[in-house]
Formats: sequence, structure tokens, C-alpha cells
Amino acid sequence: MRLPALLVAAAAVAAAQTAEIEFFERRIRPILVGTCEACHSSRVAEPMGGLVVDSRDGLLAGGASGPALVPGSPDASLIMRALGYLDPVLKMPPTGRLPDRVVEDFRTWISAGAVDPREALTSDAPAADEGSGPGTSIEEGRRWWAFQPLKERVAPVVSDPDWTLRKIDSFVLAGLDRHELQPSPGADRRTLARRAYLDLTGLPPAYEELENFARDDAPDAYPQLIDGLLRSARYGERWGRYWLDVARWAEDHPTSEATNRPFAFAWRYRDWVIEAFNKDIPFDRFVRMQFAADLMPGFMPSDMRALGYLGNSPVYHKDRRLSRDVIETIASDDWDERVDAVTRGLLGLTVACARCHDHKFDPITTEDYYGLAGVFASVWPANRPVVRLDAERAAWLTRQHERLYRLKGVYGNLQDLDTVAEELHAGIVAMKPEFEALEHELGPDETPMTPAVVDWGVWVDGSTPTVTRMDLRPGQPRDLPVFVRGNVANPGKIVRRRFLSVFEPGGAAPFEHGSGRLELAEKIVGEAGPLAARVWVNRVWGWHFGRHLVRTPSDFGTQGQMPTHPELLEDLAARFVQNGWSLKWLHREIMLSAAYRQSSRANEAYQSADPTNLWIWRMNPRRLDVEAWRDSILQASGELNLAMGGPSAEVDSDDPARRTVYSKISRGRLHPILQLYDFPVATQHSPVRQVTTTPLQQLFVLNSGWMQARGRSLSDSVAALSDRDARIEALYRRALGRDPTDGDIALAKAYLDEREAQIGREPWDEYAHTLLSANELSFLN
Amino acid sequence: MNRRRFVESLCGGLGSVGLAAMLQERSEAAANTPAGPHFAPRAKHVIFLFMTGGPSHMDLLDPKPALLRYEGQRPESVDLRTERMTGGLLPSPFEFRRHGQSGIEVSELLPNLAGIVDDLCVIRSMYTFNPTHTPARNLIHSGNIAATRPSLGAWISYGLGTENRNLPGFVVLSPGARGGDLWRSGFLPAEHQGTHFNHAETDPEQMIRYLRNDVLGAGDQRRQLDLLQALNHDHRDRVGGDSYLDARIRAMETAYRMQFEALEVFDVRKEPARLRGDYGETPFANGCLLARRLVEQGVRYVHVYYGPGQPWDDHKEINRNLRERCPDMDQASAALIRDLKSRGLLDETLVVWGGEFGRTPVSEAGDGRDHNPYGFTMWMAGGGMRGGIAYGSTDEFGFQAVEDRVSIHDLHATILNQLGFDHERLTYRYAGRDFRLTDVHGTVLNELIA
Repeated sequence: MRLPALLVAAAAVAAAQTAEIEFFERRIRPILVGTCEACHSSRVAEPMGGLVVDSRDGLLAGGASGPALVPGSPDASLIMRALGYLDPVLKMPPTGRLPDRVVEDFRTWISAGAVDPREALTSDAPAADEGSGPGTSIEEGRRWWAFQPLKERVAPVVSDPDWTLRKIDSFVLAGLDRHELQPSPGADRRTLARRAYLDLTGLPPAYEELENFARDDAPDAYPQLIDGLLRSARYGERWGRYWLDVARWAEDHPTSEATNRPFAFAWRYRDWVIEAFNKDIPFDRFVRMQFAADLMPGFMPSDMRALGYLGNSPVYHKDRRLSRDVIETIASDDWDERVDAVTRGLLGLTVACARCHDHKFDPITTEDYYGLAGVFASVWPANRPVVRLDAERAAWLTRQHERLYRLKGVYGNLQDLDTVAEELHAGIVAMKPEFEALEHELGPDETPMTPAVVDWGVWVDGSTPTVTRMDLRPGQPRDLPVFVRGNVANPGKIVRRRFLSVFEPGGAAPFEHGSGRLELAEKIVGEAGPLAARVWVNRVWGWHFGRHLVRTPSDFGTQGQMPTHPELLEDLAARFVQNGWSLKWLHREIMLSAAYRQSSRANEAYQSADPTNLWIWRMNPRRLDVEAWRDSILQASGELNLAMGGPSAEVDSDDPARRTVYSKISRGRLHPILQLYDFPVATQHSPVRQVTTTPLQQLFVLNSGWMQARGRSLSDSVAALSDRDARIEALYRRALGRDPTDGDIALAKAYLDEREAQIGREPWDEYAHTLLSANELSFLN
Repeated sequence: MNRRRFVESLCGGLGSVGLAAMLQERSEAAANTPAGPHFAPRAKHVIFLFMTGGPSHMDLLDPKPALLRYEGQRPESVDLRTERMTGGLLPSPFEFRRHGQSGIEVSELLPNLAGIVDDLCVIRSMYTFNPTHTPARNLIHSGNIAATRPSLGAWISYGLGTENRNLPGFVVLSPGARGGDLWRSGFLPAEHQGTHFNHAETDPEQMIRYLRNDVLGAGDQRRQLDLLQALNHDHRDRVGGDSYLDARIRAMETAYRMQFEALEVFDVRKEPARLRGDYGETPFANGCLLARRLVEQGVRYVHVYYGPGQPWDDHKEINRNLRERCPDMDQASAALIRDLKSRGLLDETLVVWGGEFGRTPVSEAGDGRDHNPYGFTMWMAGGGMRGGIAYGSTDEFGFQAVEDRVSIHDLHATILNQLGFDHERLTYRYAGRDFRLTDVHGTVLNELIA
């Protein structure tokens, strides 16, 4: 019988294959993923040497030096020469030879034919397969580069060691070397100082400050400048605002109906953030405080403001006349928003994708999702006191404020009695005297309160057919069921509140304390700390350079971009953690580098070789964001009021004209000026600000009363000077921080003369307005 | 412009921009068009006439004689949960008659629309997922009940780009500026967000923020702009060229020209008196007429809101309210269709009419109707849709769509289809996945396409 024999043979082959595959999975793939793919992957923008190792085809095809792999012949395989450090030039990985055991594993694997199951995987179309398991198993997912422990890297050998000023520079120059590019010359001193001022404080330097710096030839003048700016209170106003983008902070809710009216004291969180940046609170502590300052040792009552990160989250209106399922869907949308903001914002992971099905590409399951969502179903927003009170009084105040807010909300929602079932009328009517009494009781109380959270589990009570209630249970956390396909009407297995299993190789232990918010924060900066550090360092890099190393700053998963400079990111993140998660350390490290100090001038040849400046051959020129632009104009016109903190004012108010960070931020009705200038909509986390340049912005610049008023103030400030040249000079110094050139003066005079001939006077207001409208003021080089 | 040209312009009088320059600008704009349609489009523009609040289909376009027979009763089939408390069935006092070749029944409240009913594609089997205004309105504007996704107009602007760089691609006409949450670009680039104009005004200067310079006349402003651009060019020469710098220099020029183009385009008073008479002169009529003028100038998507607030939200005294509100809505909507048709624009312009939901056949507060997400009517016209057809149906009382049910996602899929897009392929990558207007839903209504 031939057939059975064949089958036996086939089965034997299959068994052998299985063993080979297992060998590959255990010994080879982890090395390829963890050690090689950061530079040699089809997901890297430009894989080094043209080699990709994330598929068998990639290894067989090889790179610039030829095929990497000859199955069956380890000695003929280039990869063995590289791994064995047998070649004088080609030594991989560049950070040091792998242990002999690993090199031997590769030899064994290649000798046995280099069985590699990945070719089968890549030829499938897994993305289209709805409802299948995760795109990658948790086990396999743990090997993803971004989840690995952080390790300081050895600075690579570079073509021009003299250029390097900080360790960063070696990595940047190595990248430039590989692409046969050279760094740009350093920026001139005035440009560099303006860059540093705007970068760290969001305000341009005054003319005198610039001149002093330009004349100061002390070798440490620049580091001194950076240190001085880092000590300025203006620093927290600039960098705190960046965090507020990540934290999707605003002062109201997307729609602001009766049940989700704005919180009165949302600005207290903004002020806390600014103070935290100025104090350089270590980033890991900064994160923990925002989840659970009240539960941490050394808690000060003013730290309560940190809880605004959660307490001020966007909330959707819940019309109590709707059915339980509809209300629970809206509540679960609220929780989803928190999961999304926290995981994309802090971890660069799109966990919210796992609400309806296991994540299709990253090692995140639906149970992981509901394990996290449960934490947010176990907290409830409430105002809490920011001054020291005895615990009982504090709890009482919190309860009364919460009750008042909720009663007024429900009453506002249901007060039109014609629309509500009759049996509810008496209860609704009774609410009014109750909340009026509460208002009366709390009215004289002047305890400052701040939006925070309390550990109250949230359930939805549909037991009365005509009205749906929020059932809040103080001290009782809620473990959520998996809502199958995201449908609250289809609850599945209950999931204990816990962290993402990919970070918990020993199994994710359930959270034990209250809602679990402190434990969640501990996990984010602990077990997931290496990832959180990478994500944060990448964001900070992006704010300094105008472009990120990982160009998807809120997606470090497999669908995100790979870093352009993996070693640089690893090294910088590792040293950031070693240096106590100090942001000010990180600023210094970046800003003192030669890479940062480069000129931003374009170079035609490089512009075509690397148009998006992937390899950092120059500083990126940038348009100022709305905060820095508006503040620059107000500083030039002499109207900027530097009072810090307190309630917000509209962005177009000019009495007093405070820094833009103190503007009112609305989720549903963002001020048109902020909308016009690309301010992010704070209904959810947004990874980066877009930069648009539209005619409607320019209509504002050319025609708005606000801009014209700034021109008048600026021209008034020099009106006392009778000499025309002196006036022009003073205007240039105020508006652009420099002296006018002869050409500028000639242009100014030609304009003033021409206009005088037409209208009988020199239009200084108009001229000052024009200077404030110039590109020179709106852009950063 | 460099300094020499600036000085020349000072000597040489007005530096006005000629038609040729503007035309050149337009051909550049066409070259910048994004990805573009997936297949040959039937329509190039959309005008959405939005009846905020939810108009009553049983009184306008979906006759239900059974309401009279069961007046005041509450049979089991109408015992559905509604947002507010409702009572028994409330008959419509308005007479329905068959009209046109198609013989579609239309209420006496809509004599003008009845006159063009052979151009209308009436869908009587719409349904939505939420009985509350805000979420339902979010859904019909963006495909999702939460206020986070890009608006339909933003998707269309993203997909098709603009035809006229002097005007936004997505225009919102709303008397009273309800927040921008309904015309947001969401995660799409900000340039695709709707630009709002208040069409309660007919004077463009009142309508457009910062359109007019209160201090300088056109010639003086040109001089100021020439000075500014000379400074900008000097700066550019000093620091080196950069696309952002160039973009702002260009945007300044466009802004300057837009002041005059908008003065012309946005001014419905420039239309002949007879045509304005056809539309009527109410705010909604001005909005419809303005929508046509904008579409003629290459605007992709115009969203016209009927009135401020939620005018069609008739919780009480519905019959009286409808008698007041229908005449100008009817006259202007029908005039728009006729006007587009006579100019040969109806073929390439898809007109959509409807609200976020319909109203209940059962009464609220005696003489009103509550929100009805279960079944309601919308209509489309032009843009490659079949005319003279009434599609789908609600139950005998008009409460639930029962036959050929059409979801909001189906509507969106169909609108995109007419513009040449496969709604499953018009995607934008964000937060780790490809988002669509229709999420994972939506079926194109092929039977309704001509």
C-alpha cells in the first residue's frame, strides 16, 4: 500500500517541521525581534543596509552586502559572519557580540535548513479575518522592541567625533553618516537664543536679552542661558501646556447639557500642571499623582488638583428618560474615552481597539481592555477640597458638592414634567427644594474645591421602566463584564480589574485597593515603565525638534512607525530613567546637543535626498503654535500680563491680556481663534497638533480688531520718539527683536511717505500692525 | 513679490489681481486634489438641507390613514419606548394627494415640493439609533453618536479636495452659530473642517468674520499687504526657503482676494429679483440660494440648517407649527431643485433633505409628537439618484420602518457612492486603525440610483 506509507512519511516530515518551528520560535525569533528588527525591519522607514529580517524572504534576499542567509550552509551565510564578529567591518549587533550560545543557535538553525514559519504568516491576510484571535499572541507580543527593558547604549563610532557635543550627537551623526549626509553648521547666536527662549518659555527674548547673549563669548554662555530659562516660571506655562494636550484638558464637556454641565474649578488642574513642570516633579511621580495623589505618601491637600486628569475627563450627557442599555452604552463610552486617553497618551498603545474584539495587531485582548475599563467604572468625578480639613469634613463636602451637582443635573434633565411619567413627578418636584437647601448650605462655604475623582463604583439601574438611574456605590469597585462586540446588552465573562497582560509575564494580578487607580499608575510607570519612558521621551523630542523619532507618538504598537533612530531613543529613555525621570535633565541633554544647535537653513541637495529631514541634517523650521504666536504679539505690543494661575478668560480678551495658556478651553465650543489656529479638540486624546496655514487665519491677521489694537498699542509705545529713524528702530526691536537693516529702513520710509501723501499723515498704527503680521514673528528657525 | 516689485507697485497704482491670476490659482488647486474618487462620480457637490429637531413624516411625506381609525388608542405595536411620555395615536389633519407622473402622495403642506415630486427620491424607511437630539444629530453628521468623528462634509472635502482655493471646500450655513461640533474635521486634517457662515444675514460683511477691514479700503489694504509681502520675501531670502513660509505668503494673497470674491459670491442680493421671488426671502430661502451660488463656484459640500435651535422639534402644537414653518421650507427647497435643474447643475449636485429623526405617531402633551428614531422620511434629488420614487415603508401607523429599512450608515454609503467613493475604502488611519465614515456598516442603496 503506497498511500499509507506516504501519509506516514508526510506525518514524520510534519513532526520534524514542528520541532524546527518550535526551535525557531524559542531561540531564533526572539533574537530577530528583540535585537535586530529595531534597525532591520520592513516597518523601519529605511532599514539599515537595506536588510530586513522580519520575513524569511527578507533574510534570503539580504541587503547591500548580499544575501544574509543560505539555508543549510551556516558558513556561507553572511549573518553568521556578522553575528560571530568574524568580519572586520560587519559586526552585528553593533552594541556587542551576542553570547556564544545564541550564535550557536543560529548555526544549528541554518544547518537544519533555516525553517521559518513566518513566510506562511506574511502571505495570509490576517487583518481581514474578523473575530479571530489577536494579531500576535501575548507571548510573542512581549518580544516587541518597545516592551523590552531599557538599556544604555554604546555611542557608535562616527566620521567626525569633534562635531559631537553630547551623546545624542553620536547617534544622530551615525545616521547621517550612513546616508552620506552631513550636519548643518551651527545656528548663529541670535537665532539660537530665540530658538531656546521660544522653545522653553513660549516667548521670544527681548531685544536686550538677545544682544547680551550675542555679545557674551563665555564658553558656558549657552548652557547658562538654558539653565536660566529652565528656572523661569514661564517654562512651566509652556511645557505644562504640551502636557495639557496629551491630557485632553478642557473646562467643560463635549455637549454640556443638564447632566454634564461644566465644572467650575477645572483651571486648578491646569495650575497644578504648570507648577509641577516648574518644580520638575519626576515624570513617574507626575503620572502617579494624576491617578492617585490622595493615596500617596506625603500627600499635600493642594496635590488634590492633580486628580483633574481623571476628574475633568469628557463626560457625555445621560438623559435619564432613556433606557438602561442606552445609558450604559453612553457610560461605557465615557470609560472607553479614559482607556483610550490613558493608554495612547502614556503608553502609546491603542488599547481601545480591543473594546469589541481582541486587538488585531498588538498583544492586547478584550479582557485586557475590560480589566482596565473596570478601573474607570469604579471612579466617579467629584469636586474635592484642596486645603487641609479633617477627613470627615472633607468627605462630607465632597459628598454634598457631588450631590448638588447631580441633583441639579437630573432636575434640569427632567424638570419639564409633561415629558416624564406621572409617578415620578413628586420625586422630581422634591429635588428642587433639596438642591436649593444644599446650595444654601454650601453657599457660605468658601473651601476651594477642585475636580477630582472618588472611588465609587458606577452601575446603571434600569429597574424603574420610566426612568434610568445612575447607581453609585461608594467604596464598592465594579469589575466589568466583557461586553461582547462592545454591546452592553450582551455581557460576557466578568473581568477582574487589572493591568495589561503583556506586561505581566507571571500573570496579571487583580487590583486590590479601592478602584485600583493607584495600582494602575504604579503599573504604567513600573511594569510598563520602559514603554512609558520611551513614549514620553519621544514626545519631548518632537516638541523640541518639531518632528518625532517615532512619527506616531501615540502608537508604539506594530501598526505605528518604527523609530528613525532606535539606538538613540533607547539610550535617551534609559538615561532619562536613570536621571530620576527628570524632564529638566532631558531638556538640557537635548538642547546642549550639536544636533539641536544646527541651523535650520535648507540645502537643496539634502532637501531632495531627505525631504522630511528624517536624519536630522538641520533643525526643522516651524510655525509657532497659537500660544507662542499670540503671546509673542502681546509681548511685542507691551501688553502681556504675566500674572499666573486662576480662572480662565476668553482668548481674545485683552484686559488683562494674559498668556494664552490661561485661555478658556471648551470641548464643544472652542473659541474660533483657537479653532482657526489648529488648537486640538479636547473631546479625546490627540497625538499631535496639525499645522495648517489657511486664508481664514490671514483674514484674522489682516482684518481683525484684535490685531489692529495690538498694532495701535505697539505704535503708541514708541510715539514719544520724535525721530522717524528712532521710531522705526524701536518698532523693529519690540516686534522682531532686532535692529532694522538699511533696506528695512528704506522700505519703511518709502511706505510712510507714500501713505502720508495719500492720507495726510504717517500711519504708524498700520505700519506696526504690518510688522506684527510678518512671517518673521510667526516662524521659528 | 520682492522689494523692486513693491516699489513698482507703489509707483504704479493699484496692485490689483487680475482674473488671469485667479484662474491660474484655480488650475493649481485642481492639480493639488487629494486621492480623489475610486470610480467615475455621478455627483460633484452635495447640498444637505437639514431640518434640525426632526420633522414629522406622517404630516409631510408618509401618509397614514390608519391613524384616524385608531385615534387616541395605543395598540401594542405602538407601545415603544420614547424619550418622553406619550399617549394615544394622533391623526394628521393634513390632506395627502398623489402628484406627478409617479403619483407619490404628498401632504397639502408641501405644494411646491409636490410640483417637483418626479425629481425626488423619497425614502420612507429611514431609522436611527438614538432618540435624543445630540447623539442622533452626531450620528447623521458623522456616523457616530459621540462628538468625536469627522463630519460628512469633512470626509467629502478630504476625499475630493476643493475646486476653488479662494473658498472653503465645506461650507456650513446656519443662522445662529451653534458650536462647531457638528462640522468638525475630527481626526482629519483641520483644513477639512466646515467653515460656518450665518445666513440670517444677507450682507457678506455681516456674515463672514474678519472679512472686512474696517480701517483700510481695498487699495490701501493692497499697499499694506505689498509691504507685508516685501518683508516676508526679505525674510525668506534671509533664512532660506521653506514650504511653511511660502504657504503663509500665498494664504495672505488668497485671504486678500477672498475678501472680494466672497463679497461677490456670498451676496444673494446680486440674484435677479424674479429668482429671489421664486425662493422667497426668508433666511432659509437665502441659504438655499446661497448654497446654489457656492456650488457653482466649486464648493463641495454645503450644509444648510433650517433656522437656529431645533425648529422642527414639535413636542406640542405641532399642527399650528407646521402650518407656519412649512411654506418657506417648501418653497425654497423646491425652488432650489428647479433652479439647479434649469442650470444643468442638478445632475452633478446631490440634494439631501431630512432631520436627525422623525416624530411619533402617538401624541405628546395632547397636540405634539415626540422623537422617533424607529422610522422617518428623508428625500434626495439629483446627483444621479432616481427621481419620482418612494422607497421603503413604515408600519401602518408610521412608527417603525419595516420594509427596505435604510440606516444612517446606508445613507452615508450612498452619498459617498454618488461622489465616486467606495465607502469601505475612503479611510483615514488614526489611533491605530483605519477609520471610515460608515465604521463597519453601510450598504449602498443601488435600487435608488438612476
